[in-house]
Amino acid sequence: MVLPIYKTKHDEEFLNIIELDDVWKIYKMGEVEVPALKGLSLKVAPGEFLALMGPSGSGKSTAINMIGCLDIPTKGRVLLAGQDIATLTELELSRIRGKKIGFVFQSHNLYPTLTALENVQLPMRVHEFREAEIWNRSEELLQLVGLSDRANHYPSQLSGGQSQRVAIARALSTNPLLLLADEPTGNLDTEAGKEVLDIFTQLNEQGVTVVMITHDEKIGGRANKIVRMIDGTLAS
Amino acid sequence: MRLLDIFLLSLSHVKKSRMRSWLTIVGVIIGVASVVAIISIGQGMQENVQQRLGGFGADIITVIPGYFRATGAHSEMHTDRSVSTSSSINLTDKDIKVIKQVPGVMYVNGIVSGKADLKYDNEKTVVSVTGVDTSIWRLMDNTGIDDGRYLQAGDSNSIVVGYNLAHGTFLQSITLNRPITIGGKNFRVVGILKQSGGFGGSSDTGIYMPAEMAREVITEKVANNQFTSIVIKASDASLVEYLKADIDQKLMSSRQVNPRTKDFTVIASALIREQMSSVTQTLSLFLSAIATVSLLVGAIGIANTMFMSVMERTKQIGLLKAIGAGEREIMKLFLIESGIFGLVGGIIGVIFGAAISLLIPYLGIQALGFGGDMKATITAETIFFALGFSVVIGILSGIIPARHAAKMRPVDAIRYDQ
Repeated sequence: MVLPIYKTKHDEEFLNIIELDDVWKIYKMGEVEVPALKGLSLKVAPGEFLALMGPSGSGKSTAINMIGCLDIPTKGRVLLAGQDIATLTELELSRIRGKKIGFVFQSHNLYPTLTALENVQLPMRVHEFREAEIWNRSEELLQLVGLSDRANHYPSQLSGGQSQRVAIARALSTNPLLLLADEPTGNLDTEAGKEVLDIFTQLNEQGVTVVMITHDEKIGGRANKIVRMIDGTLAS
Repeated sequence: MRLLDIFLLSLSHVKKSRMRSWLTIVGVIIGVASVVAIISIGQGMQENVQQRLGGFGADIITVIPGYFRATGAHSEMHTDRSVSTSSSINLTDKDIKVIKQVPGVMYVNGIVSGKADLKYDNEKTVVSVTGVDTSIWRLMDNTGIDDGRYLQAGDSNSIVVGYNLAHGTFLQSITLNRPITIGGKNFRVVGILKQSGGFGGSSDTGIYMPAEMAREVITEKVANNQFTSIVIKASDASLVEYLKADIDQKLMSSRQVNPRTKDFTVIASALIREQMSSVTQTLSLFLSAIATVSLLVGAIGIANTMFMSVMERTKQIGLLKAIGAGEREIMKLFLIESGIFGLVGGIIGVIFGAAISLLIPYLGIQALGFGGDMKATITAETIFFALGFSVVIGILSGIIPARHAAKMRPVDAIRYDQ
């Protein structure tokens, strides 16, 4: 398996792909303030395969929102490729996020009205890639995850494992700095889960940075670095 | 994101929930079809009225005896033409002279009209006879001659026959030079008028002869220097309103009457036509308003569907935002979807509306009070208006749901559970 990554070298100079610096996230539930993150600091270096683990309620979902730049911290800084996301407008953030981070969620990952191939093309269409590149790359990526024969199937016609593999292909389409996976095997049986994890492992071996959230120790064992969270911050 | 790609994504939404999309579109179709049909029927009705009143000519003013006076709740017509005493037919040579001197008057024709017994080919009937000034009538007539000639100065026992009287009334059609007996006198047909289809159709079923002969043959008694009406042609149609008032004034002073004792009426057919148009216009405006309501119901249907679509696609909105789509793109995505409903509904609605309009004449529905067949006129403007309107309504009713979608925060949208 050879990754169709065209430029492995990114122009910007930075040490960490993502850096969380004393990040707080406080939700307001009516009058009560509920802190979900209490001064979380975390660094993701290029080439890492990091597993973020913790029991439910430990704040790992909020943490992945921060790492994925899907949400803005109440306090503290989030640096994406060395850039403070607080300095960006919403549209700029959306564009940069879409280009530099590839998301694989637990479920409902695919756009149900589009075929597998169209799903892989979607991020490239959002970022207005050239038409020829869109087609070449999407076909290559589907081949990479072993689903060329399912290119014209709709998500409802794919199994859970196949859906996640399409989601991985889509996450890779814009050649991101980071692949961010939120319980990617949560809804899969053991066999399909293993296939998906194998893909992550192989991608990492080829230099793709992966951050994965999981509560499963066995899955966490695949990573070369495990970060444990408890009560809104890192477990020491 | 390129517009084409947004469009294709919208289209994939529409195609995926086919049943709901069609039901939404049906709502728009009903609205657009009723708007198109009603506007077309309204325009057809107006044209009908215009055509039927058109025979009178826009530059014609008529003076008749008696005065219609509205006094509070009571209104009465100060004339007793039905009794037809000579005193009630009170328009005279003197009035014609007065009118001739009004600036802007081109021709004045003293008319003597009434009913007369007619005998043709052993068939008998009663016809309406119009006695005219032979030297002037030809200059004022708008109907035109189908066969033969107009009356001319010097004619005495000559008549011109209306088209329907000539061709539809008797077993044997009336042709030129046929002898006809009217009121016991023998006449010769010198001309047959074209079919006017005019309002009331008097010129189609009537007989025209010199005024002095008409006095002798009609059952009503009209004295030698008297007329049953005076028809005036203005030198220009734009003068009609002013001329009507001027004639009214001049006749009042020469006849020594005031507005209370006034015993004649001046009518401008152009003004009648305007009034009739405004009535039909009001009517079609009213009907259009009703049709617009059904279009609004269609719009609410679109808005409802769009809200459902946005709810249903919350996760996809989150996904789109996560992969880099901005608020504007999400907004466009849903506006195009609602625009598609408006456009498709509009196109099919126009086709249905046009079909209904075209079928109307075959349903045999009689036009309200105008005595003719109902017809519908579909214009390009109507079609473009209906199409444009439905697309605009489609987009407008998508705005609120689309904004709702665009403002969603990606983090909430992704975690949203249905």
